[in-house]
Amino acid sequence: MRSEYIWSILLFFPLLIIQTTVIPFISINGVVPDLILILLVFYSMRSGQLYGTVLGFIYGFLFDLITGSLLGSTMISKTLAGFIAGYFSNENKRENYFKSYFFVLIVLLCSVVDLVINSFFSSVDLNTNLFRLIFEQGILPGVYTSALSVFVILFYPKRSIN
Amino acid sequence: MFRFISNIWGNFKEYIVLVILLLIGIITLSLNQKPAAKKVKSLAFGGFAAFTSVISNVFNIAGVRSENEHLRKLNADLMIQISELRKYGIENAELKGLLGLKDTTHYPLIPATIVSKSLSRSQSTFTLNAGKRNGVLPGMPVINDHGLVGIINTTSDDYSIVRTLKNLDLKLTVKDERSRVDGIMKWDGSDLVMIDIPKTYDIEPGDRIITSELSSIVDIPIPIGIVIGLSKVQTGIFNEVQIKPFVDFIRTEHVFVIGIVENKIKDGLQLNFYKRN
Repeated sequence: MRSEYIWSILLFFPLLIIQTTVIPFISINGVVPDLILILLVFYSMRSGQLYGTVLGFIYGFLFDLITGSLLGSTMISKTLAGFIAGYFSNENKRENYFKSYFFVLIVLLCSVVDLVINSFFSSVDLNTNLFRLIFEQGILPGVYTSALSVFVILFYPKRSIN
Repeated sequence: MFRFISNIWGNFKEYIVLVILLLIGIITLSLNQKPAAKKVKSLAFGGFAAFTSVISNVFNIAGVRSENEHLRKLNADLMIQISELRKYGIENAELKGLLGLKDTTHYPLIPATIVSKSLSRSQSTFTLNAGKRNGVLPGMPVINDHGLVGIINTTSDDYSIVRTLKNLDLKLTVKDERSRVDGIMKWDGSDLVMIDIPKTYDIEPGDRIITSELSSIVDIPIPIGIVIGLSKVQTGIFNEVQIKPFVDFIRTEHVFVIGIVENKIKDGLQLNFYKRN
């Protein structure tokens, strides 16, 4: 296993502790940001699409296992989110992405996809209004997550970390 | 041939890996109810909960914890007793003089602290620092001083996972405390609703909703919430009753697991769904 994978997986655990203990305190009307997704987007953009896809799968698997969610639902959604984030892993533009608000937009896109897919798999109900589902379970938490991802831009080193 | 495969892999490896991983994910979805999967889950969350409980304890002021727990237990006891009294009051008015109701006001309460919360719109779960060693079993109701929080879903030796009311997989039989109308309550992703309630049934905004004695999971009257409105009034033959839960799921930190001994006769008759697997 590449050392890059080890670091990104090791970082997952403290972040999940924060996600499940501290983040609920800053929820707005039940809407919580997803720190794991920000980490996933960051690594996917940094290390490529294949890496992001596999990492999303691992993050999703661990998340489902630890939080008691429906095993498989987060695996699928995070795999897709990692794949999409990795799409923006352009070596020439990577540094610019991390230093601009483009990163926030990518987080928003991945977050919406992640949340909609996740809620679709975990709430298969013919009565569910699709637009309401996308708005309430996708866009609202997605906007909150992307707002929090601004900190990555603010704290990203001015010089390349590669 | 090798070159052909190598070319395909070189050009499409991202897509190939994506499809393989998605297929594994879909297969995993179907394995959720397997005992082996449940065992792995319980080991994983048990191990992780040990860490989160340390962090969670930082947020609790150590000096007042025991006193708080005592007061909350008292509160929870009183809440159940009040709920029982309300139930008895209504039943008394209807049955006038019928005797022989069993005194079921004392239930074993197992105190627990929430060590982590996985909040999402569809599958909110809490991890508690009480498990099999404390007598917690899957299917036991979890309450706080306001009402029902959820139902124990998985347990490890020292920790357990609660499916909160805001979880799509939890459906309960509930009752309108005033009109005694029963119905199935579920979380629809944004609201707590009683579904398929005939329009002729007497349910009004402001009514208190409690758990129903018909339920095979929670058969003692525990407050759930208050009716805030009816939807689908204009169409169809059924109403959907929207309920505002009494419990604040964001701020709840301490809970009690009710160590109910399940009713064997009822379980035999109704096939409690926790025993199907």
